[in-house]
Amino acid sequence: MDVIYWLIPSMLVVGLLAVLAIIWAAKSGQYDDMDGEAHRILHDDD
Amino acid sequence: MSEQCYHCGLAVPENEPVHRDIKGEEQTFCCIGCASVCEAIHEAGMESFYQRTADGELLAPPPPPPKNVELYDYDEVQSEFTQNLGDIREIHLLAEGIHCAACVWLIESTLAKLDGVKFGNVNLTSKRVKIRWDNRQIQLSTIISKLANVGYSVVPFDPNNAEAALKKQNRALLYRVAFAAFAMMNIMWIAVSLYTGADEGEFKNFFHWVAFGIATPTLIYSGYPFLKGAWDAIRSRRLGMDVPISIGLLTTYFYSLYITIYVPEGDVYFDTLIDLMLLLLVGRYLEAISRTKAVDSTQRLMDLQPKVALKIENGEEKILPIRLIKKGDWVRIKPGEKFPVDGVIKEGSTQVNESMLTGESREIHKYEGDEVSAGTINLNGTVTVKVQSILQDTALGRIIALVEEAQNSKAPIQCTADKIIPYFVTTTLTLATASLLYWLQFDVNTAILAATAVLIITCPCAFGLATPMAIAVASGVSAKLGIFVKNGAVLETLSSVDHIIFDKTGTLTKGEMSVVKTLGNVEQFASSIYAIEQRSEHSIALAIKTYFEEKQVSQAELGEFKVHPGQGVEAIVNNQSVYLGSQSWMKGLEVDDLSDWSAEVDLEEAKGHTCVWLAIDGQAQGVIVIADTLREDAQALMAALKNEGIGMTLLSGDRAAVAHSIAQELNASMEVIAEVLPSEKDAVVQKLQAQGKTVAVVGDGINDAPALARADVGIAIGSGTDVSMDSADIVLMNSKLVDVYNARLLSQRTLKTIKQNIGLSITYNIIMVPLAMSAVLTPMIAAITMPLSSLLVIGNAARLRKFKKR
Repeated sequence: MDVIYWLIPSMLVVGLLAVLAIIWAAKSGQYDDMDGEAHRILHDDD
Repeated sequence: MSEQCYHCGLAVPENEPVHRDIKGEEQTFCCIGCASVCEAIHEAGMESFYQRTADGELLAPPPPPPKNVELYDYDEVQSEFTQNLGDIREIHLLAEGIHCAACVWLIESTLAKLDGVKFGNVNLTSKRVKIRWDNRQIQLSTIISKLANVGYSVVPFDPNNAEAALKKQNRALLYRVAFAAFAMMNIMWIAVSLYTGADEGEFKNFFHWVAFGIATPTLIYSGYPFLKGAWDAIRSRRLGMDVPISIGLLTTYFYSLYITIYVPEGDVYFDTLIDLMLLLLVGRYLEAISRTKAVDSTQRLMDLQPKVALKIENGEEKILPIRLIKKGDWVRIKPGEKFPVDGVIKEGSTQVNESMLTGESREIHKYEGDEVSAGTINLNGTVTVKVQSILQDTALGRIIALVEEAQNSKAPIQCTADKIIPYFVTTTLTLATASLLYWLQFDVNTAILAATAVLIITCPCAFGLATPMAIAVASGVSAKLGIFVKNGAVLETLSSVDHIIFDKTGTLTKGEMSVVKTLGNVEQFASSIYAIEQRSEHSIALAIKTYFEEKQVSQAELGEFKVHPGQGVEAIVNNQSVYLGSQSWMKGLEVDDLSDWSAEVDLEEAKGHTCVWLAIDGQAQGVIVIADTLREDAQALMAALKNEGIGMTLLSGDRAAVAHSIAQELNASMEVIAEVLPSEKDAVVQKLQAQGKTVAVVGDGINDAPALARADVGIAIGSGTDVSMDSADIVLMNSKLVDVYNARLLSQRTLKTIKQNIGLSITYNIIMVPLAMSAVLTPMIAAITMPLSSLLVIGNAARLRKFKKR
């Protein structure tokens, strides 16, 4: 059961990274336009 | 079967289709707007726009292009929207007319084709466009008109305004909630492991350390608003809700930390700590989103007054931003425009609608030498005005300044929970000290355990949620009833209001003219009168027109027609010459038989009613009496409020006789104060407040705004001016007066719920504190009972949703 000693902390670190990633994404405006970006990729420059 | 518009896909009106040549084929459009937009799109070679719009997606006809775009080229104007005024500039635009992804493509492609535009990005969700351009190569006005050509009306806006700042603040709070939620989910399984047996194994102390690792960043990040609030409160020597919360949080944290380090066999409360913060933060967040912030006063002023003026310089007209106009300049105002300045008319005469300032809906005639006020509307004549004051110095500007002053001087609302806090803190600290002293006789460790347990268990979670939960639910309920509560805290105040001040025009009355009765042979000539008034735009004409429309009168053939401004109209109908107008005009025309009704007319005019005389072929035939009538539910409201023993005052800028006749009609025992200026309305509120009364003001005009802001509760009518709604705490969206009473009922219900909630949390403390004092509290009991007490409070608040209006 010694695995717990490093498994739990590393799991917490992974979780924390995920939270930080989401906060970073929201702060950098990636959730500001939920519709436009999905279509923009289909626009070609003609 | 009508055709579809080639551009927007709406049905083409049958009588006036628009035809244009598009790529050599004639196409049909529903309006000129659609046709020009379609032409512009094809000219620019961007017709693939039409393939990009999804099938069945209807485009709306393009919005009208913005007026006076040249003004946006001035640095003085641009400085309101952007800080950087160098060669490369960036600005945010608010766009009208964006409906789908194809619009994003069309706008971005249009911007990409313009030389000098470095960057253009459309946000489809918020309908905003961000552009960066080189000011040496292209002007902002050119960009705006290019976008107008393809069917989008854009105006610059400042994303850093007050509203946006508040949103950002709320978003930051939401991050803290999210982090606390994340921490709670993770600490939960550690707590569960401990409670289900891990506390006996070798991992117990390790789990304590993990819990400590989760709780520390959460306390620092998510708990920051409470700790900071408590620190500020202590420095200014008052006790807010944050103080007991912080005492509880810090005690719990440091006690658990102490156990983790020194007492491996002890129990920790880290999970309770995080649960507490999450629940309290949710309450805080709900409280924060139910508040809306007042708009900056200069911004508001700019919205009400035109941003440009037509200056006369050496006989030539020149469009200038309002900030560049100086006292003594001459400016020209065309029909339908708002006056940009306060000044004196030097040339021309016109009718002016001053309702936004005075609340008086009737047009006022202004001739050379008369004064005009900024923000009022010039109806039908071109006039040249010598400027006396602009912006902050105008009558409108002074009212707005007064609103600002009243808002700033308003004391923060003391809610019921706040009043109990000092007693709560004192009692908790006394009990904790008592337990410490008592147990010290036996054993130091138990003494510390008992004392901290008291502080942990009394942490006022349910207490802290009592008010915000009730107010959040009540705000939601009221919104459904058409009562928009801008500042949730006033829901508590409203129930203790004992004096209500009503504005007259537009609040108790409808604010528009309608026919009260007719005298003499008026009905006999109904079709002639109806035909004449069809041609007129005057508010009195409108009233008469509506009156006959409701009677389904047929329309006679109208011959020659002439308007005498300020006097009346004459026309030939059915070979008779018909005159409709004022008594003095009739006298001047030497009409016969005026004396038949003059006694009755004098009586009506004393009440403030307007009388329009009818004369046919030089013979007076009757009188139409017109007045601003009471709202249907005014009397019901008065009766209901009187029943509750609330004092009432009618406050009006109108003549005393008119105000008194309205009060009489209402059949209410109310004080009448007439002929007051906006600043005096504010003073009346202050005087009542000085007498110790809790005052609510109900109003709709800009002239009511200072009083609305000053009052303990300001209630604005939804059909009124934006400024009055900005200054008020509650807006009646359905413009029904009875909602004043409903809001009060809801407020009483809310206060009752808040009191119940406080009662619940006190009961919880009475049960739990003895447990803590006798040193038998365990983390398990704390983890179960503390959230339970909060849930009880939330559940009780949710019962408010059943509120029904009468």
